[in-house]
Amino acid sequence: MSTAEAGFELLGEAGTLRDLIVDTWRSRDLIATLARKEFLVRYRRAFFGVLWALVIPLMQAAVLALVIPKLARFHTPGSYLLFVLSGTVAWTFFMSTITQASTSIVDNQAVTTRVYFPRSVLPISAVLSNLYSFVPTMLILGAITLATGHGSWRLLLLAPATIAACALTGALAIVLAALHVYFRDVRYVVQAALLAWIYVTPVIYPLNAVRGIRPWLEINPVTGVVELFRVATVGADNAWLPSLWWMLAWTVALLLVAGFLHRRFDRVFVDLL
Amino acid sequence: MSEEPRVVVDHVSKRYVKYDDAPMLVTRALRWGQRSSRSELWALRDIDFTVATGECVGVIGHNGSGKSTLLRLLAGVTGPTRGRVKVRGRIAPLISVGVGFHQELTGRENVHANGTILGLSRSQIEDRLPDIIDFASIDDFIDTPVKFYSSGMYMRLGFAVSVLAAPDVLLVDEVLAVGDFAFQMKCLDRMMEIKESGTTIVIVSHNLGAIRRMCDRTIVLHKGELRYNGDTARAITVFHELLSGATDGEDLQDPAYRVMAADPGEIESFELIGPSGEPTRTVSSQDRVQLRLDVRFRKPTRDVRVGVMVWDEFASLYEDMSAKESARAFEAGDRVRVSVEFRPSLRSGSYMARVALVQDDGVVAAEPFAIDFFVTSPPQTQGGLIDVAATMSMAELAPVAKPTEVTDGD
Repeated sequence: MSTAEAGFELLGEAGTLRDLIVDTWRSRDLIATLARKEFLVRYRRAFFGVLWALVIPLMQAAVLALVIPKLARFHTPGSYLLFVLSGTVAWTFFMSTITQASTSIVDNQAVTTRVYFPRSVLPISAVLSNLYSFVPTMLILGAITLATGHGSWRLLLLAPATIAACALTGALAIVLAALHVYFRDVRYVVQAALLAWIYVTPVIYPLNAVRGIRPWLEINPVTGVVELFRVATVGADNAWLPSLWWMLAWTVALLLVAGFLHRRFDRVFVDLL
Repeated sequence: MSEEPRVVVDHVSKRYVKYDDAPMLVTRALRWGQRSSRSELWALRDIDFTVATGECVGVIGHNGSGKSTLLRLLAGVTGPTRGRVKVRGRIAPLISVGVGFHQELTGRENVHANGTILGLSRSQIEDRLPDIIDFASIDDFIDTPVKFYSSGMYMRLGFAVSVLAAPDVLLVDEVLAVGDFAFQMKCLDRMMEIKESGTTIVIVSHNLGAIRRMCDRTIVLHKGELRYNGDTARAITVFHELLSGATDGEDLQDPAYRVMAADPGEIESFELIGPSGEPTRTVSSQDRVQLRLDVRFRKPTRDVRVGVMVWDEFASLYEDMSAKESARAFEAGDRVRVSVEFRPSLRSGSYMARVALVQDDGVVAAEPFAIDFFVTSPPQTQGGLIDVAATMSMAELAPVAKPTEVTDGD
């Protein structure tokens, strides 16, 4: 029970959604601290530190920009390099965050078995720690957009695009982190799914190059995120709006599932660790 | 204080469900609709007690008695299957030393992370940081990654963070069992300070010495049930009865138990006497010390012999009984002083001892509250279970005649 006085009252294994949301909101200091710790740990030992977070999507985009045009010519709104870069930046954020966050409750069991805080804090802080390394990447993306002459007021859309990416990724991560406590193969299911997922996401090809299965690609929530980054940088595909609605719908649905799972299992995840 | 209790555990039961087949998403999806076979385990059944503000309560029991489950329920990390758990104020565990520390992070960064996890705000952590550094005595190393810490520094820092988090209710899980003797004493002193400052404390421990020293009241858990809740000394006796299997604990709540143990001889006092002749609880491993039991007989008793037992938390270390030939008979009203003189010869640590008057068919008089004591052994003692007081020396021997060089006989 969340009252003004600290403390709690537990009447069973399941709590109320309201308490869960209030407790999570109260844990925002903890979320920030855990995210910073995670961020420091990840880059402290690497010689280039946080630069790696920049270099990896840039390298990936560069390689794709060299190879793909030799295989197929896509009609993209702006330069293909910028097109593929905006896609990989968004995709890399999604992929690395989901990989890390979906196992976060189990990975932190030394602490979760001893101290209570809403378990959703862990996947959320994983999203935040990835956001820290995402910010410089986005600055580079903005700089390249300007340098290649695609810059406009639309660059400001990078902010809502980032928020949307965090919301979708966070919602999915909270659901997966809960499932992973019960089903330890979720880790591998996620890895396998991500391998396939990039091909049904318009990262290296534009949506308008696809015939037939295109509506299915629009349903893919990550399409919405990628398209939003495209709108902000290289320019919109003509069908970006439906994918945006799908993404929002997915985010809301996943949050509802997350709320349901954590309301029921938040206080008993530990029993399975 | 007639206020509401600080901690309420109200008819709490906790069930764990164990799935017999490894729960895999893929296999579950393939066998959709089939229930997987599972077994249930009740870790706690109908546990009911309260803790008042400022009280220090111990929880003892064997492994598997439900102690850790109770601790998790109190910490709020798991919810009760039945019943109600209520805690007023901020509750924090005295985290097993250094849990959650990350090797790559500095002491300061780890203190921040751990402090936040324990529910402190950033400014509270900044305020307490000097105290934490001071208590852990690591001032030169606070900005060094903890992977370079000695194990002593690591433990001290872990303890300091938890202790200085200063919650309303402190949960202690076996932390007193780590570290060297000096560190244990320092922790114990600090715990006493915390207790005196009015913090409510719940201790789960195998260290009966610490439980006895600290706890006003102790709860004994056995197979998930609460077997005793009351006086700490009684609780320790109950625990040892359960441990030795002498009783399944059925009648332990019955006041008749005490009479039975004390009849026909009544215990007047039971003490451990140090070399100075004064009662003590801390003795040196090579001191001659004495267990002294004064008994008054209520009725005539024949064939009485003396028995003694010394044990630690894991096993009985020494058991003996005086010779049959030395057995004596007593009349009603006789008073007798039983003395058992011995040299502990043990490594530093916490031990328990008990003296009894026994007949062939049972105990005549035994101190129902075994005495607990600390042994200190010299610092040069490096390992092992017992201190045999070996003397070590090296002496030079007469040299062996050097082989003379073989020279030509010319």
